[in-house]
Amino acid sequence: MNLHNPDAKTATAYRIGVDIGGTFTDVVMLDPATGKLTNEKVLTTPDDPSEGVLNGVTRILAAGNATSSSVQTVIHGTTLVANALIERKGAKTALVTTKGFRDVLEIGRELRYSIYDLFIDTPVPLVPRELRFEVDERMTSKGAVLRAPDPGALRALAADIRAADVEAVAIVFLHAFRNDENERVVKELLAEALPGITICTSFEVMPQIGEYERTSTAVANAFVQPIFSNYIARLVSEMSRLELPEDLFLMLADGGTVHHETAVKYPIRLVQSGPAGGAQAAAVFGKLAEEPNILCFDMGGTTAKACLIQDGEALKTDNFEVARVFRFAKGSGLPLQVPVIDMIEIGAGGGSIAHVDKLGLIRVGPESASSKPGPACYGLGGTHPTVTDADLMLGYLDAASFLGGDMALSKEASENAIRQALAEPLGLSVVEAAWGIYETVNESMAQAATIHALESGRKVQDFTVLAIGGAGPVHASNLARRMGVRRVICPVGAGVASAFGFLASPTSFEFVRAAIEPVAELDLDRIDAMVRELEEEGRRLVTAAGVAPEDATTSIGALMRYMGQGYEVEVTIPRSVLDARDTAEVESLFVARYEALFGRTEKMETEVISWRVQVSGPKPVLEPTAALIDGPAQKGTRAVYFSESGGFVDTPVYDRYRVKTGEQIDGPALFEERESTIIVPPNAVAVPDAHGNLIIELGE
Amino acid sequence: MTEQPPVKLSPVKVGVVWERLSGLMDQVGETCVRTSFSSVVRENYDFAIGLLDKRGRQIAQSRRSVPSFIGTMSRTLTAMLEKFPIETLNDGDVMITNDGWLGTGHLNDITMIKPLFRDGRLIGFIGSIFHTVDIGGAPSPAAKDCYEEGLNIPISKILIAGEENPLLVDILQANLREPEETLGDIRSGFAAYHACAARLFRLLDDEDLPDLEAFADDVLNRSEASLRRAIEAIPDGTYCDTLTADGFDHPLDIRVSVTIKGSDIAVDFAGTTDQIEHPVNSPLTFTQAYSCYAIKCALDPGTPINDGAFRPITVTAPEGCLVNPRRPAPVWGRHLSGHYMPPAIYGALSQVAPDKVIADCGSPLWNVYFKGRRDGEDRPFVKMFFMNGGHGARPTQDGPGCLSFPSNVSNQAIEQFENQVPMLVEEKTLVPDTGGAGAFRGGNAQRLTFRNLGDAPITVTIRHERVANPPRGLLGGEAGAGGIDMINGDRIPSKSQNSIAKGDTVTFQTPGGGGMGPPGDRTADAIRTDIASGLVTPAFAKERYGYEP
Repeated sequence: MNLHNPDAKTATAYRIGVDIGGTFTDVVMLDPATGKLTNEKVLTTPDDPSEGVLNGVTRILAAGNATSSSVQTVIHGTTLVANALIERKGAKTALVTTKGFRDVLEIGRELRYSIYDLFIDTPVPLVPRELRFEVDERMTSKGAVLRAPDPGALRALAADIRAADVEAVAIVFLHAFRNDENERVVKELLAEALPGITICTSFEVMPQIGEYERTSTAVANAFVQPIFSNYIARLVSEMSRLELPEDLFLMLADGGTVHHETAVKYPIRLVQSGPAGGAQAAAVFGKLAEEPNILCFDMGGTTAKACLIQDGEALKTDNFEVARVFRFAKGSGLPLQVPVIDMIEIGAGGGSIAHVDKLGLIRVGPESASSKPGPACYGLGGTHPTVTDADLMLGYLDAASFLGGDMALSKEASENAIRQALAEPLGLSVVEAAWGIYETVNESMAQAATIHALESGRKVQDFTVLAIGGAGPVHASNLARRMGVRRVICPVGAGVASAFGFLASPTSFEFVRAAIEPVAELDLDRIDAMVRELEEEGRRLVTAAGVAPEDATTSIGALMRYMGQGYEVEVTIPRSVLDARDTAEVESLFVARYEALFGRTEKMETEVISWRVQVSGPKPVLEPTAALIDGPAQKGTRAVYFSESGGFVDTPVYDRYRVKTGEQIDGPALFEERESTIIVPPNAVAVPDAHGNLIIELGE
Repeated sequence: MTEQPPVKLSPVKVGVVWERLSGLMDQVGETCVRTSFSSVVRENYDFAIGLLDKRGRQIAQSRRSVPSFIGTMSRTLTAMLEKFPIETLNDGDVMITNDGWLGTGHLNDITMIKPLFRDGRLIGFIGSIFHTVDIGGAPSPAAKDCYEEGLNIPISKILIAGEENPLLVDILQANLREPEETLGDIRSGFAAYHACAARLFRLLDDEDLPDLEAFADDVLNRSEASLRRAIEAIPDGTYCDTLTADGFDHPLDIRVSVTIKGSDIAVDFAGTTDQIEHPVNSPLTFTQAYSCYAIKCALDPGTPINDGAFRPITVTAPEGCLVNPRRPAPVWGRHLSGHYMPPAIYGALSQVAPDKVIADCGSPLWNVYFKGRRDGEDRPFVKMFFMNGGHGARPTQDGPGCLSFPSNVSNQAIEQFENQVPMLVEEKTLVPDTGGAGAFRGGNAQRLTFRNLGDAPITVTIRHERVANPPRGLLGGEAGAGGIDMINGDRIPSKSQNSIAKGDTVTFQTPGGGGMGPPGDRTADAIRTDIASGLVTPAFAKERYGYEP
């Protein structure tokens, strides 16, 4: 099997990406030889999501006149893991932890995440207190065994766990990220005593310092593992029944893909896989448009997400929170130490509800009308005005051509909802109130994205906005202007970007090992041996997934900081630096990186917190071609509100699939596609490029 | 169909400008955090950024700031302008002070404010407050007056027309132990103001505003009106409460009367114990900040923090008392009194607004200073460790365990802590039966035990409250369990300095939160869940709730 050579001129070698979302399952099929891209949307089947997947794949093959044997790779992303955590619908899980520490999971960080709210709820732990067991064992902070677990006590523990009738067990001991001996001993004994029960240790899942976050991560992994592996087993067997490839690939939250056999061991690494696909797609589109620095802006029905792509790579982090209980507030969710694309999410989507707050000002979200009942204009019983209602009133959306005309919208319903909830209480006209919704939601997103960039040490003005998601292109230009960004890219297929992004992602796996040491005392012999061991394991994983050994590459990173600082900076360490055991170079690489991020350096000692090793196959080269349709591009005109013009102006409406490459169109203009509408404001120009992307240049 | 664009200062415009200004404060705050030297600033957000208009009214404040800084900036600016009248200020000036009585209540917070000029015209002020660990002197829990507590920077100019004031920088350098850290944080403020001014001017241009006045008038009035509506909903009258703090040589009474009259609320602390010669006195500015914070949380959370939001509130206290001490009272640990403002005010308000308030929390914040020496090292280590008590019960919810109000300081990972000091933490666990019984029970306390692993003894310094006087319940709810301090299992005084030898243990059990409503009103379901989790024992359930399975 040759997965990663798109130039191979085999007869047929389709690559298929499948993304399961809340409402739709998106399927994208690429013929790497021609660059031809087709897509399909089918309804998600929540009871057994594999049904929707197979249905979508079958349909796209039929549409493309292809057979299942001509499919080379299927890459899959899913919200299954995140949903199981949000809805607490995972396996009944027990925690085995160090004596004296079973409440770590419940106590958390002891921080009120909303400082003016007396009524905040703390997240409910995935494992209730009565299923948290203690073992009298102890590791020192240096990783030496202080007390080994007593075998007799472990047998009693196994009996207790059996009596509790759980499906999964997470084992997390203090300082196990340095030495997992005690975790391993306990796992072996429990595995023997409790056949058929999923058991994972914190060292296997993510060996990072910080007992609360590591416990939370290991517990979450155990909690989702049984349902996830059942799902994958079912899907793989169905795929082989349909003569599809038996190797299924899964999208990880950090933008890599892995073979399904690896994925079922670390399901928690899939927690953000759909949005990660969106970010990978944005990186590809950015590259095609020759823009290496992208702010990917993904606005859907209930939320908006943003992430940064610098020099073609999405920025990553290993601090993530899932299932936030309060208004997307940092600190109100379950922390996960997993490599993820660094993304913010705010409650501002098309379905977000606008209301008048206590100050008599317009606020949007985070409450959402979701897809049911949906915005007032859907006519499905929603009565609250939403962002989509405002977009309709302002002429950005068209009542007749929404979703390609499949869903007629009621402008009257929008007007009534906005009048009642906003215009009348505020003494505004309906249009002024609609404009208020549009302005307000854009400003909140602009602020959130600007601060997100600052938090990662970047300036948002140095990035180009790339808009995906159904509502992304409707809001992107206004958002960009608010952030001081001058250029916006609207790619083709914005509505199925995640599934497309899966196809763009290399097979890769990342390992992290904590090794806290002052740089002055670094034992690079030991580090090098550790890195080589991880590299070996990584190569084993990616070659088993079909990557040719000579195509596998390794990148080594160190998380470093000035001693005593609270934040780490990731530094890429070239192989040659380790080979030369060049400690001084490790330090100067950090200092250079620090200076690039913060514009200053300190006269202090430095330390390494952990090492990471990522082994990857080659990045698939994707060059989708624009499937242009002949015929006149302009469909007509309609009245659209632009504040720059002081009100409604008659604005030309184009079919984006009919606009010819390189043809410059001055704003104001609208470009309609099935899933979205691109707004080009006055004093801006839009140019479609050879790949079908619409590039909007905003004037001063 | 043609429509006029929204007129100037429509609610739409005010809303967008408000969002932009708040975002701007947070952006400037984030820049400061990223470049700060002090870990207190970075990790606990122990700083604030504020924007004031040319009349000195605070318009906006960074959203993650700690409560101690709420509303203090306008008062500090008023004092600054008395010394440096507006007509004497120049572009590029930055004023500074850390005076406890003019700023935030102790010397460790430095307030700096810069006038913003545009085309030669004053349009407002940008200011910041940040916490600095080192302010010189010998701040100690034994301090008898504020002179021991460090260097007082009188109101002065740290930047004069863009140039650093060499005399002041020399004085700072000569009086601080780590002058580079404190000066570094001061200078990072200058850079932040500069960036803020540029963005503010762009905002004014974009929104077509000549200055901040029209916007400030509008948004301050809205904030004021919002709080006034909430106050009006409470029946007029004077409501009193007295709360007793453990104190040092004798208990300390904090007496509060809260008077509601129409849409005004007046908080007065007459009857409170006199100031004492221990560093827990709370200057009026700190008392005001925590009183305003308490009122805002209870009556009007979620609206902006600006001068308008404080207009309906008056906070007074007799001069010379614990919460309005005269100089030179020692004030370094002012939070040990200041954190009692919210529970006292809520005790009073519970008589008329029981659905707005919470029972007492296991607060003031507990901490411990460990001082010792690692084997083979000469330099001593000093390590502070924070521990939260249980949260007070709420009108319709139990209090969470190990979460404190009004303080808000997160814990440190045990794995990090053990890396830094030669100690082993033997337990960090919730303690059953520590949450006060009630229809809704208080949050559980936690217990931590530390063992000295090293050869050198470790000094353990504590100043713990809520030991003799545990967190009270409200409206029939019972008190939480009082805190406990022990060495090798024997009780030690809650305000003491002790030494533990190799192998000795020291144990801290924080106070549990108070309950709310009569215990008899607690549902059997809730009690069963408590027993199943082990957070309440069957014996306690029987004794306090009369529950038998």
